Amino acid sequence: MFHNSSRGLFTLLLMLLEWTRPGLPSPLRPICDLRVLKHFIEEARDAQAAMLTCKEGCGLPEPVTVPQTKVDFSIWERKNALEQAQEVQSGLWLLNQAIGSLRASVTNTALQSHIDNSLINIFRIGKVLRSLNIQECNPPAGGVSGGEETWRVSSASELLQVHVNFLRGKLQLLLSNAPICH
Amino acid sequence: MTNNNLNKLLVFCVLFCAQKTSIVHGAQALETKVALLLHAEPENPKCFAEGMSDLTCFWEEDEERAGSADQYSFIYTYQNENSSECSVTALPAAGGKRLYFCRLSQTQLFVPLDIRVFRDELLIHNRSLFIELVFLLDPPANLTLTSTGTQGQLKASWLPPSLKYMGDSMMYEVSYTMAGSHIGKVEEVQASSELILRGLQSGTKYKVRIRVKLDGISYSGYWSTWTDPVLMETMPGDLDPLIVSLSLIISLVLTLLSLLVLMSHRRFLLKKIWPIIPTPESKFQGLFKVYVFASLEYETRYEEWLGHSTGGLWLRPAYFYSEEFPAPLEVLSEVSLGPALPSSALPPKASEALGEEDEDEKLKRVDSALMEGWRETPQEHWPMDQLRAIHQHPAPWTQSSLLESHDAYVTLNAQNHSGEEPLDDILEETLPLQVLFASGRTSSESRSDLGSFQQSSGLGRLSSQSSFEYPNHTWPPKGPGYTYMAVADSGVSMDYSPMSSSKIDDIGKGVIYTNEYKNEIPAHRRPIGTPIHFAF
Repeated sequence: MFHNSSRGLFTLLLMLLEWTRPGLPSPLRPICDLRVLKHFIEEARDAQAAMLTCKEGCGLPEPVTVPQTKVDFSIWERKNALEQAQEVQSGLWLLNQAIGSLRASVTNTALQSHIDNSLINIFRIGKVLRSLNIQECNPPAGGVSGGEETWRVSSASELLQVHVNFLRGKLQLLLSNAPICH
Repeated sequence: MTNNNLNKLLVFCVLFCAQKTSIVHGAQALETKVALLLHAEPENPKCFAEGMSDLTCFWEEDEERAGSADQYSFIYTYQNENSSECSVTALPAAGGKRLYFCRLSQTQLFVPLDIRVFRDELLIHNRSLFIELVFLLDPPANLTLTSTGTQGQLKASWLPPSLKYMGDSMMYEVSYTMAGSHIGKVEEVQASSELILRGLQSGTKYKVRIRVKLDGISYSGYWSTWTDPVLMETMPGDLDPLIVSLSLIISLVLTLLSLLVLMSHRRFLLKKIWPIIPTPESKFQGLFKVYVFASLEYETRYEEWLGHSTGGLWLRPAYFYSEEFPAPLEVLSEVSLGPALPSSALPPKASEALGEEDEDEKLKRVDSALMEGWRETPQEHWPMDQLRAIHQHPAPWTQSSLLESHDAYVTLNAQNHSGEEPLDDILEETLPLQVLFASGRTSSESRSDLGSFQQSSGLGRLSSQSSFEYPNHTWPPKGPGYTYMAVADSGVSMDYSPMSSSKIDDIGKGVIYTNEYKNEIPAHRRPIGTPIHFAF
């Protein structure tokens, strides 16, 4: 009997250790294929198109902060890789927040699926950036960040358009020029 | 000092000229793009970006309604920014039109841009656009065609427009046509600077041109103008292996078919190529199988002849047949005896035996007693049986060769036993038979296809062709002796052996006269002793 109980204890212990094993994140293969981004952009466009047709139950409860999407090449090129990465990462974070709050307020089921897609894609973009060794930035303290690179939108369509423009612009520039891919 | 100034002036001039050239070139390019956009873009103002930081907008006005450039104001506003104004310039255009231009040298992408055009405070045009979506690039430069080394292929390579960050977003369209043709093919390629054109005809000149456009994901725009066409000839064609193999198969099939046709018609063809020498055999049934010389007919003919030449008898004193009875000639029918024996020395023997004969030609006489024994019997055995019955003496022919199936025995019968009769100066045509034999004489001079033989070689020939196989059979002569001659008929020619007697000891008594048979009438009289031609 003691033999049986000790055996069961031993098994339980092994299971616990396996479960709580401190695991290092396995290095991801760099995702350099820009078709991945193309896919994200197209889905974001679909969401924007769906939003334009939505009449009811598709509004933002309150204005949200979104990143600036404009790119002046002369200014952009003056920034170094780190600054560019930071700009992109913070913008993604903001978008994630904004779209998340939209998700909560939208009642249109078709739009909801698009918004869910957008949120999942933002998560995937984060993985892609991680695979390219682009550092994740920590969200600024206080949650809501201001600054030059942000502005506020009050409509859902504007938000989704920002989402599209951001992916097409800054994110695409960052990914296409990732040093690990060249 | 003057030199220096001159040098500076020269440099200035060169630079000015170069700039002028580029300006001219630029103006030409602008003109092309304007024309293109006037066609492609419905909205006003028509705007396009050539690089990463510029934007050119223009609109068209009729000459009569057009005002001066300063009447117009071009106001543009980026999202979340203040408005700005762009200075307007006017240029004359073809067809009584006027173009108004505005060019921005610093732009922001990925952000909406509002454009408003006012003419004297009146809004005439309003447009919102994304600058990164209105790219109109210059066509690719340095389009070159090279051979890949493979049949029906060409490699097109070019220099992509030098725009940073946009290389992966560029889309190219390559158009290739056969020189002189208007129907061409188009191939698209993305984010590349070369393309292999396949499926081209060998040894043909192709005209290739290319244009570029952004792919529309992050950046977009209009198709650029086509490059100037580049010509190149493809490699000359080798024999297509498919064609070669097909031709081989077809030729093989044709050969087999012709062979089949030949084989099926070979008899007909053989008849045509190798015609069978016709024989009159079909016309004369049985003639060539059995020689029948009716003794009666022989006598009749002979007497006819006698009747004709009665007057000339005195000229031919030697020709004295009064005592001679025509010797009926009876022929044994076709004999088919056993297999042939090797040729024997019979004829030489016979010739030896008859060697004593004199040179004179005498009429041949044959024992008439032999006549009775010869009747019509079954062809194959009759001669044999008859001969066996008749001839008892051991034959000097024991070693003779066998008579072939078509050979016939020709024997001569004489009603009276005749002695020697010198026959001098006998005309050829008067003598049915004459002495041929002469010892030591060779009659090799004349040959004929029918009925001729030679003394030496002919004998041998005869011996091989017409031979007797009588190892056990003899030629029992009956009476004084029996003379016989073998005739070989091959269906085409007849060979006659020299006449020989079964009684060798009789040879001394009588001379056997043999004759050379030919189907021709000789032109002149032959000297005595030479072979006489006898015409049937």
